[in-house]
Amino acid sequence: MNRRRAPRRISLSQRRDAPAGGEWRQRKEERWRGQGKAQAREVEEDESCEQHGKEAVPRGTCQTMCPARELQDREVQNRLHRFEMLAGTERVRRPRGDPLRAVKEYTRPAAGKDSTNPTDLRPPAVLLKTVCYLIDDIAASPHLHPWTEVYSFVFDRLRGVKQDMIIQRVSGLNCMAILERTVRFLIYASYRLCGEPLWLYDPRINDTHLQESLSWLLDCYATETGPHPNQEEFQALGLLYNLGSARATQHIMELSGRLRTSPAITLALSINRAFLERNPVRMLRLARRLNFIQGCALHRHLVTCRRDLLLIYSHGYCSRNCRFPLDRLAQLLSLDTSLAAQLCQAYGVDVNQGNQLVFSKAAFTEPGKGKLHCKMYHNIVAEKQRELSVGNIIHGCV
Amino acid sequence: MAHITINQYLQQVYDAIDNHDGSFCAELLSFKHPHVANPRLQLASPEEKCQQLLEPPYDEMVAAHLRCTYAVSNHDFVEAYKFQTALPVMFSVTLDLRIFANSAEQQLQKKGKGQPGEMLEKAAEQLMSCFRVCASDNRAGIEDSKKWGMMFLSNQLFKIYFKINKLHLCKPLIRAIDSSNLKNDYSPAQKVTYKYYVGRKAMFDSDFKPAEEFLSYAFHHCHGSSQKNKRMILIYLLPVKMLLGHMPTHQLLRKYDLMQFADVTKSVSEGNLLLLNEALSKHETFFIRCGIFLILEKLKIITYRNLFKKVYLLLRTHQLPLDAFLVSLKMMQLDDVDIDEVQCILANLIYMGHIKGYISHQHQKLVVSKQNPFPPLSSVS
Repeated sequence: MNRRRAPRRISLSQRRDAPAGGEWRQRKEERWRGQGKAQAREVEEDESCEQHGKEAVPRGTCQTMCPARELQDREVQNRLHRFEMLAGTERVRRPRGDPLRAVKEYTRPAAGKDSTNPTDLRPPAVLLKTVCYLIDDIAASPHLHPWTEVYSFVFDRLRGVKQDMIIQRVSGLNCMAILERTVRFLIYASYRLCGEPLWLYDPRINDTHLQESLSWLLDCYATETGPHPNQEEFQALGLLYNLGSARATQHIMELSGRLRTSPAITLALSINRAFLERNPVRMLRLARRLNFIQGCALHRHLVTCRRDLLLIYSHGYCSRNCRFPLDRLAQLLSLDTSLAAQLCQAYGVDVNQGNQLVFSKAAFTEPGKGKLHCKMYHNIVAEKQRELSVGNIIHGCV
Repeated sequence: MAHITINQYLQQVYDAIDNHDGSFCAELLSFKHPHVANPRLQLASPEEKCQQLLEPPYDEMVAAHLRCTYAVSNHDFVEAYKFQTALPVMFSVTLDLRIFANSAEQQLQKKGKGQPGEMLEKAAEQLMSCFRVCASDNRAGIEDSKKWGMMFLSNQLFKIYFKINKLHLCKPLIRAIDSSNLKNDYSPAQKVTYKYYVGRKAMFDSDFKPAEEFLSYAFHHCHGSSQKNKRMILIYLLPVKMLLGHMPTHQLLRKYDLMQFADVTKSVSEGNLLLLNEALSKHETFFIRCGIFLILEKLKIITYRNLFKKVYLLLRTHQLPLDAFLVSLKMMQLDDVDIDEVQCILANLIYMGHIKGYISHQHQKLVVSKQNPFPPLSSVS
């Protein structure tokens, strides 16, 4: 601490009537709080002095999506992704990299490796352009197949973007714009790739990164000065994705009154409440009001919701002569009749000849692993997509 | 004390250490003691002086403390907390550490820097290492064992974990204390604090019966003179008791200035959903701040049960038309509820054991058991 300021002396009056113990501390703190502006300015001056003295935060200078050095290295080592190859050179022994399509990879931080070289780091504006390229030209492209490969590529390159942001301690508008798109992409992917084999898409890895990015984004909203025009959307998405979580719910409850009463968050809270109260009829009814990306965020909880319905009905309608019409149940579950019948069978609920259900609490069973395919029951979300393009969904201009 | 020189102060510390006077030594290193107001002791680099007069590790400890007083005198709590580790000494230091971390948090928040909770998390990491040292102390005899520090440290850590909302980190501490053979021998004050936090954790995990046990213990053993602490415990004990069907008396609420619960209590026991919703939104801020809003929402199910029981008592039959329940809900101004939802709510109450019976879809009736169709709340977990 090499400050040039003279150390502050405690005034004589305070010393004279210094009370014993805790009181002294309390008074001192109160006085400190009251000093406000002059205080803040002084501390800020110290900060700028400190920055010149301490090690500076790395500032990137690379203006391309992929640093020149990396592109060269990967070209030589034949480690280009097919989306990064110069058109026409894909089949030769050593394909050439296209500097307009190559994107910096994610690499694990390793001891001895210097990841702070400015020529390898992309400044925030370039990072945002990179993300937009990944969305518009890769994720939303109608020509690139299969989408699992598209996802893997975009997922990895977004991770690289995040890494550059962390090393340069990026904050502010660019940071939030990047995180917002990342979160929307990962939420969309969680819905679109639901049910794909594990070696092509791992929902847990997707979830980890989604939660990290979401958490960082919500922290930005909390600590950076506003306005944040998309905050309502993302707070609601966060709750829908983490439906039923006490932590997520408490977080929403602690937001400002104005935010909490906004339409998207009000709806998300009602759905959350219905889920926690185990009222699947209400929950599914409210879910119909969600838009597409909100539906994507919610979709994995629909499985639990439908299961809950079958479970409580198995108990509530459990009597020998009970007959519940399949059509009615299908309506409640937002499914067509044949799908509803399939779902019932998966849970041990008997469907008789006249398309009537015979509920019995003894008969209800959890379906065996792999027997239930969430994807088969996606229609409630799918029908919301309509004419929306992938690009618009992820950029958020719907 | 406010006028002694640095040499005189260090001499006092040395004497205290030499005479094994732990509590006086703790005072000399505590921020509650007036010596911290002495500008002669507020040194930016006291290490040399300390090394001259004291032996390691005390020289380091005292130097850190003095740098701390310097930092605090400059209102730099961020710097202060960095310089903060004999059990009473440890108690005092760790308590100050947590309080500094709190102030550092506030200071950082004002500047809009850093992740919220960062300072407290770091403080927690340091406390956790202290805890591990205490827990693994197998050498000394029982009187000198560092194990006595375990409950104090746990309580400090609980406070931090609750503040930064990382309750799952409480589990290993609870496990360690539970398996310790000293668990019933700690001081009453420490035990009350401990049970209070464990009770709150149980509440959070929806283990309401154990939560009631812990929080009741804390409430009854809390010293009668600390009204404030008893009130705090009650804030968490009340919702748990209500979920188990025990409503507090108006007397109790008035005694502890908790009238916010009055309308909630009334509405739940009457089955009045309308009043419940009004009461929850009227005191929303208070309930959210205490972190009990979500628990209180669980009372809705109890309220439905009480309302539907009234319908049953009114109609005096065992075959209740579903329409009657729908009407009762509409009277509570729940306009967007339809007959499908009524069936769902009833099915859930049956599933949870609050109603004994079944629904007949064909006859659109709820058929309840002739014996005890609405079992008492305390018997339903």
